Amino acid sequence: MYEAFIVALVVFLTVGGQELFGLTMLGRPIVIGPLIGVLLGDIQTGLTVGASLETIFIGIVNIGGASAAEPGLASALAVAFAITLHKGLAVALPLAIPLGIIGLQIKTLLYVAVVGPFASKFDSMASKGNQKGIVRLHFGLWGLQWFLYSLIPFFAMLFGSHATQVALKMIPQVIVNGLTVAGNVLPAVGMAMLMKMLWDKNISVFYFLGFVIVAYMKLPLVAVAVIAIIIAVLIAQRDYQLHKLTEQVNAKPAVQSTNDKSSNSEDDDFFN
Amino acid sequence: MSKITKKLSSDEKKLIRQMYWRSFTLYSAVTPAKQGASGFEYSMLPAINRFYKNAEDKRKAMVRQMSYFNTNIAMVPFVMGIAASMEKKRSENKDFNEDSINAVKTSLMGPLAGIGDSLTWGVLRVLAGSIAISLAQGGNILAPIIYLLIFNIPVQLVRWYGGQLGYTLGSTLISDLYEKGLINIMTKAASIVGLVMVGAMTSSMVKFNLAWNLVVKGKTILKSQALLNQIFIGLLPLLITLLCFYLLKNKNVSINWLIIGAIVISIILALIGVV
Repeated sequence: MYEAFIVALVVFLTVGGQELFGLTMLGRPIVIGPLIGVLLGDIQTGLTVGASLETIFIGIVNIGGASAAEPGLASALAVAFAITLHKGLAVALPLAIPLGIIGLQIKTLLYVAVVGPFASKFDSMASKGNQKGIVRLHFGLWGLQWFLYSLIPFFAMLFGSHATQVALKMIPQVIVNGLTVAGNVLPAVGMAMLMKMLWDKNISVFYFLGFVIVAYMKLPLVAVAVIAIIIAVLIAQRDYQLHKLTEQVNAKPAVQSTNDKSSNSEDDDFFN
Repeated sequence: MSKITKKLSSDEKKLIRQMYWRSFTLYSAVTPAKQGASGFEYSMLPAINRFYKNAEDKRKAMVRQMSYFNTNIAMVPFVMGIAASMEKKRSENKDFNEDSINAVKTSLMGPLAGIGDSLTWGVLRVLAGSIAISLAQGGNILAPIIYLLIFNIPVQLVRWYGGQLGYTLGSTLISDLYEKGLINIMTKAASIVGLVMVGAMTSSMVKFNLAWNLVVKGKTILKSQALLNQIFIGLLPLLITLLCFYLLKNKNVSINWLIIGAIVISIILALIGVV
């Protein structure tokens, strides 16, 4: 019971905590491993298992919402089992990989199904000017999401490593697949909202330019941005010239009527 | 660095400090549809309350700042600084084009995410990890602390000065453009960059692949996704995004229904084996 509570608390404070404290890497295996080690009384096992798992998961990082595994939950449980079963790496490694993948799927499930629907609640609160509500929901959703997530290590520790493996296989694959698909489709809604703000029929073709550059040329976003900036600068220069020309045209009649004789020299200025 | 903050009033410095601390929570209520929108809003609230006196203006600014936002965490205060300086301009001048604020935000977040992610996740984190792993294998219990310090000290420096830099840059550059009457040209240019980036993000972030294949006598004779790719790569993600845009803009469908619809349809499609 004590171990279950400790492991759940560590997952809540590190994996959840890093979402609250600016993705400061608290939820990495190299941090979680020694932390669990200290709390369960075997820091050396925590260090070595944490280091091995960091080596495995070092390539895995959450970029733009896409990832291959969630290393935090996996590390916490693998280290805890390694210490409580006194078997070290031999028990930790075979558990860590499937747990990392399952952890990510449960994280996605909470992200899509629990927090996701509140996006529109935030909008309606903003349109009502309800600042207190926004702040409460902003932190409340964090607490709810990571409390639910921490229940997994709690029960996994309570029931042991064998039961954990059995339970992992019981989640219907089709639900997991569907939610993964939804997680990949939902950014479309966010893109649509941005388009609603930026769309103007004079410049809407540029949306398709950005799409086709990435779809066919696979350029990274930085390169796309440079191309976009070059185009925007060219167009801004042309607009600036038009703007100056319009100003001159608007200013000219007044000048001409008062100063008719000098119109020849003004024409020269214009063409220079 | 004192040069950057020289022109700022102590009040503005306080706003930027608040933005720095609040921006830590950018992703605490992250949603698939709008990513860090609520965190951006939370960080902008002190600025909104400071600049706008009238409840209606405050409300409009809150709606504006609750838009899709996603970038690398190190770059966030910089974007917030620019956004805050533009909100200030807007509060002082009714003719200031409010759409330019989101146009600038949107055109910045993609490229900054690209630069920030490769530097912080790609370089800094791997560097910190490799040092800490070797320390931990040698039994050094300081390994996790050294890991966190190597990663976070540079990131926090960028975050701290980024906010000040963004705010000063935003207020000098943008007021300059404004006085010359060039803000509309800048808005159009920023919107072009924004639209290109939204198009690029649609292609890189919205994913939808068909798994359905026509199989006759154990032979796959038609792979639907490969066929679609021959016509146009990313056709379905593009059509899905345009459909969402159409429903949102022309049919006034609420984002709530779009989100629920996307989840339900995805599960049904997975159930019948289309995706």
